[in-house]
Amino acid sequence: MSFRSIDIDAFDEERLSEKEIFEFSHSGGGEGIEQQSPEAVFASVQVKEVEARSLLQKGNAANALTIAIDNPPYGLDRDNAKELNAKIVMDVLNSVKTTDIPLIVKSLSSEQQDTLMKYIYRGMATPESSSSSAILLNWHEKLTEIAGVGCIVRVITDRKTV
Amino acid sequence: MSNTLRSYLTAVRSTLTAALCLTNFPSQVVERHNKPEIEALSSLEVVLNPLTISRNENEQVLIEPSVNSIRISIKIKQADEIERILCHKFTRFMMLRAENFIILRRKPIPGYDISFLITNFHTEAMYKHKIVDFIIQFMEEVDKEISEMKLSLNSRARIVAESYLSQFA
Repeated sequence: MSFRSIDIDAFDEERLSEKEIFEFSHSGGGEGIEQQSPEAVFASVQVKEVEARSLLQKGNAANALTIAIDNPPYGLDRDNAKELNAKIVMDVLNSVKTTDIPLIVKSLSSEQQDTLMKYIYRGMATPESSSSSAILLNWHEKLTEIAGVGCIVRVITDRKTV
Repeated sequence: MSNTLRSYLTAVRSTLTAALCLTNFPSQVVERHNKPEIEALSSLEVVLNPLTISRNENEQVLIEPSVNSIRISIKIKQADEIERILCHKFTRFMMLRAENFIILRRKPIPGYDISFLITNFHTEAMYKHKIVDFIIQFMEEVDKEISEMKLSLNSRARIVAESYLSQFA
């Protein structure tokens, strides 16, 4: 009777695999992040980290944030790069004063706002301490006020998860 | 402290409003079936990215959207043993009567205390903003309810102990 426990739907030719949804390398040419190997992506995130941290030390949090959320790593098998990038963004978000948040959020483009929202949700999914969630909730509130609910809808539907 | 509660609830409210865009969607696998895709998980393409909103490690909301249904799981604050027992009894009481709450799921997702399952049929029959209000109100009330029950339980225990020990006085 063991044949009854076989998931026959898994052998359906029409069935979509995780690769088809979350990998973008097959869609057209170009020099995008999807063409690079996971190691190259990780290296470029490390370069970004140095840049963002030096800006942060100079007190230029707004620029540090734009660097941190530009060209985020996405796709499968890039967990190292994703984690490091999320850590950079969290550090930047934690060091911004509450009163500066609306100004910084307004200066971002719509794509950058979407990426920021992705990182906010990612940060809340893995809470390190209770204080950081309070900061993230604050960012979330300000970002929703400015970018609207559409920003959240784009985070929900975008397959380029960070 | 109440400030984080407010921003926590606003975050849940805006995320729910965004996630509750549901449409009728028949099963891709079985003809003439109509299943909530978030439960059936028959295809990856109809399930969207799950979102977590957390106030701290003990208070979280997980929202799992899909094309025709969303699942909302709530982790309720449990500070000590008594609250854990009260929370368990309280959620169990409601989940045993899940059909009366319409959107309540009979079992919570592992790691969470209570889950709701909203399908497109619910959003067709009910106002979307009222559903969101209901979830938010539930989250507000459940903390209050549990701390009230804890207080009354403690005071009852004190009376019982006093009347029992008075025999030895």
